[in-house]
Amino acid sequence: MAKDGLHRIFSRIVKIKPDELKISFLLFFYLFLVIAAYNVIKPIRNASLLEELGYQYLPVVYLLTAVIIGFVVAIHSKIQVKISRYALITLSILFFFLTCLIFRIFSGYGWQGLPIIFWVWANVFIIVLNTQFWITVNDVLNPREFKRLSGFFISGGILGGFVGGLLAGSLAKENVEYNLLFLSAGLLFVCSLLVYWIFRWQKREQSVQDKEEKSGDVKAGTTTKPGFRDSYKSVKEHNYLRFIATIVILTLVVSTLIDFQFQTVVQNNETGNLTSFFGYFYAGLMVFAFLLSLLMTSKLFRRYGVRISLLLYPLVLLLCFFGIGIAASLVMAIVIKGSDKSLSYSINRSARELLFIPVSPDIKYKAIVFIDMFVDRFSKGLGAVVLLIIMSFGIQDYKGLVRVVSLVSIVMILGWIVFTVRASREYVNSVKKKLPPPAPRPDKLVEVGLDVDYTKLIFDTLESRERSPDLYAMHVFELMKRGKLTPELRQLLSVQAEDMAPSSLGTFFEADSSAFIRMDDVDNNDVMGKEIQEIMSLDVYENVMKEYIDKVLSDKSSNAETARMEIAKGIGFLTLDSPIIQKLEELLVDDSSEVRKYAIESAAKLRKREYVPVLIQSLQDPPTHSDAAAALEKYGLRILGSLADYLCDSDEDLELRKAVVSILAHIGTQEAADYMLWELDENNEEMDSELIDALDRIRSEMPEIEFYEDLIKKKIKQKLKSYYEQFVEFADKESKGKDEEICRVMSYELTNSLMNIFKLLGLIYPHEDVAKALQNIQTGTKKDVAYAVELLDNILEKEIRAAILPIVEDLSQVERAKACAALRKDFPEF
Amino acid sequence: MEIHAREKDDVVIFDIEGEIRRSDVTDVTLHQLVKDQLDVGKRNILLNFKSVEFIDSFGVGEILASYISTHNLGGKLKIAKISKKLYLVFQVTMLTKVLEIFDEEELALNSFMGD
Repeated sequence: MAKDGLHRIFSRIVKIKPDELKISFLLFFYLFLVIAAYNVIKPIRNASLLEELGYQYLPVVYLLTAVIIGFVVAIHSKIQVKISRYALITLSILFFFLTCLIFRIFSGYGWQGLPIIFWVWANVFIIVLNTQFWITVNDVLNPREFKRLSGFFISGGILGGFVGGLLAGSLAKENVEYNLLFLSAGLLFVCSLLVYWIFRWQKREQSVQDKEEKSGDVKAGTTTKPGFRDSYKSVKEHNYLRFIATIVILTLVVSTLIDFQFQTVVQNNETGNLTSFFGYFYAGLMVFAFLLSLLMTSKLFRRYGVRISLLLYPLVLLLCFFGIGIAASLVMAIVIKGSDKSLSYSINRSARELLFIPVSPDIKYKAIVFIDMFVDRFSKGLGAVVLLIIMSFGIQDYKGLVRVVSLVSIVMILGWIVFTVRASREYVNSVKKKLPPPAPRPDKLVEVGLDVDYTKLIFDTLESRERSPDLYAMHVFELMKRGKLTPELRQLLSVQAEDMAPSSLGTFFEADSSAFIRMDDVDNNDVMGKEIQEIMSLDVYENVMKEYIDKVLSDKSSNAETARMEIAKGIGFLTLDSPIIQKLEELLVDDSSEVRKYAIESAAKLRKREYVPVLIQSLQDPPTHSDAAAALEKYGLRILGSLADYLCDSDEDLELRKAVVSILAHIGTQEAADYMLWELDENNEEMDSELIDALDRIRSEMPEIEFYEDLIKKKIKQKLKSYYEQFVEFADKESKGKDEEICRVMSYELTNSLMNIFKLLGLIYPHEDVAKALQNIQTGTKKDVAYAVELLDNILEKEIRAAILPIVEDLSQVERAKACAALRKDFPEF
Repeated sequence: MEIHAREKDDVVIFDIEGEIRRSDVTDVTLHQLVKDQLDVGKRNILLNFKSVEFIDSFGVGEILASYISTHNLGGKLKIAKISKKLYLVFQVTMLTKVLEIFDEEELALNSFMGD
């Protein structure tokens, strides 16, 4: 009950799901404690150095910190591949806990070098623990959870900074109050407990699949020699990580330049008591950053996606630089410094860390350590070098100096924007890579794995042996003509022949009816083909055969069926100028389905327009349906108009029209797609599934074909609205626990509706991405679903996204029903 | 040809008797029967070929159409107890590469559980 109440309160501020409440608060307090502990240590660090050694030592400690951080990255990288992340983090916290106490003990001895060591230690403290916090976040959250929750737990960090500073300020009794290290140690102790709970939570949540993935990752990580160079190589060798590193460098260099501008303007303007001014300013900044992080970060991610969230920071700074470049006033300095710090603490940090989430774990953790620890420090140093270069020009006027710094910063921000756009593009690619590729369409699978025509021909060949040696001979001849008479097939036909009995019926070729063709007699070359063609083109042959065919066709007894089959098959070997082929029309409507089948096959070879109406009608005939469809497919483009007439004629039989759709899909041209789209626009629900599937097939095979976007969007809207209705009704029925069978059928209908919606989406968005997303939503783990939804979030337009994501996002049935009901009332128009 | 449907472990089993030939087709084809089951939400289909003596190209078309329809809806279609003679033809025509074929019905049913 208390948990529900807590969730109700927090869900008003942050989009936290009930089952995410625990991990959200654990991460919130984890960051809170790390930052609070550091903000207790920081004043001691500053005071001890200034009090005991003086500000002259500042360059020494800056330099020393940079060098030590390089070693820390190397050691950290080595350890992290040897022990689990939980052990690494716990040991790190333990190390800093103990060193806190050690520093407290040794502080009394008055060693001169202690403030320097303490300074470096304090910097290593925050860099290591902060990086490890983000590693933990990467371990436990998927991109969807990260986008929802990051604003919340980052606000914990900001609050930690505020509280830590407040505690240090109020509890310090001496100039350098080393006793406060006990407080930091205490905070770290609590922090280690939180880390334990977080990893325990993760262990429970992780599916078997995730565990397998992780164990694979560890193995991959141990194949290279870990260390600083290995971490550097991980970043260097991957475009995406290079982009992130470049963004971090530019961000921090620009931030250093902003700090310089701010200090310069403040120094040259009347601010009254400087200490008081800075005090109020930073306090206000903390409150602003806290609110920004808590209230805006997740909303920004949700509404505008990763790219805009990443671009917001440089764009705001760009405007500020123009402002301060034009008027180097105190107000502008406060605005630029305020924007920099508040955005960097809140939105930018979230967006930057989000970029790491989809990276493959075997390189991700090395990259985080390298970028967050080393690049971060290095960039601050680089910022100082840039400043020194600017100052070396000897600009005396502070406004002029501010202007030059602005100019340099603007150039850097432009580069930053370019890399941000590229990184956000790569982010989507990384999300795609996290998802297994979509399985090919089943019909495609059959086509690729199987030569269906050839398969059917073999079965017909075997079947023909039972009927007549001539029909069999024609089949063997056809196999030979197609070059398919392989040794395996010859062997098969020989084996099968042992079981067959010869037919006694008449023959088309007037050959010896009792003699079966033996495989040894068949030579796979063109000689036989040429001989047959020559015979068939003889005038005398035509005359004799015409007479024979008339005789067979006039014989209505069942005994003549095989003879008619032979004729129907044999006509297929003739040329279009032969008068005999006129007899095919009669055979196409023969009473025997076997005869019709062979006649249809021959019609497909001759492809005369006159056969088309009969072939189309044969689509309604179950025994010849697939033969007629295959024959019409062979006509291809020539009969598109005729097929379209049948397709669009609502008086025609529904099954026939559905069969026409399938043929159009096989023909698969722009025109065929257009006809089907127009029919789709007629909103005949009974035809929709076939039409959508056919269009999907065309799209999957021919990506160059275009589909009318407006029409597709209209259809998506219609299908979505219907889906919402269906889902609300389904959820209502299920919650009442009645009509189990109806609910089951409804559930399948919902699945089909969802498939149709996605197939439609695939017509106007990258087909493979949409198919990949659907497959993972339907069959993936919780993590796969999250990545699939994240992919959709990045490729769909804002309005379509708003209409689709609630039906695929990882929600409970009740939540989804609520979302569907809300969308039904307030549909996001697109 | 006669086809009888029964259900076991959430798998619809079609016991087919006789020959799947074009000439034996009644109003309802094997593909239509499979589609009827898919329409009511069934997704696991097993064709029991124990009593199938022969199939022609029409039969092959029916099996493949049923396979595609089932897989289109995320289901599985498998075959059990096919005769050695027919299996040889399936091998040469490479139908065995696409279709999952089992010696025994029980093995086929177990394989659905593993999917």
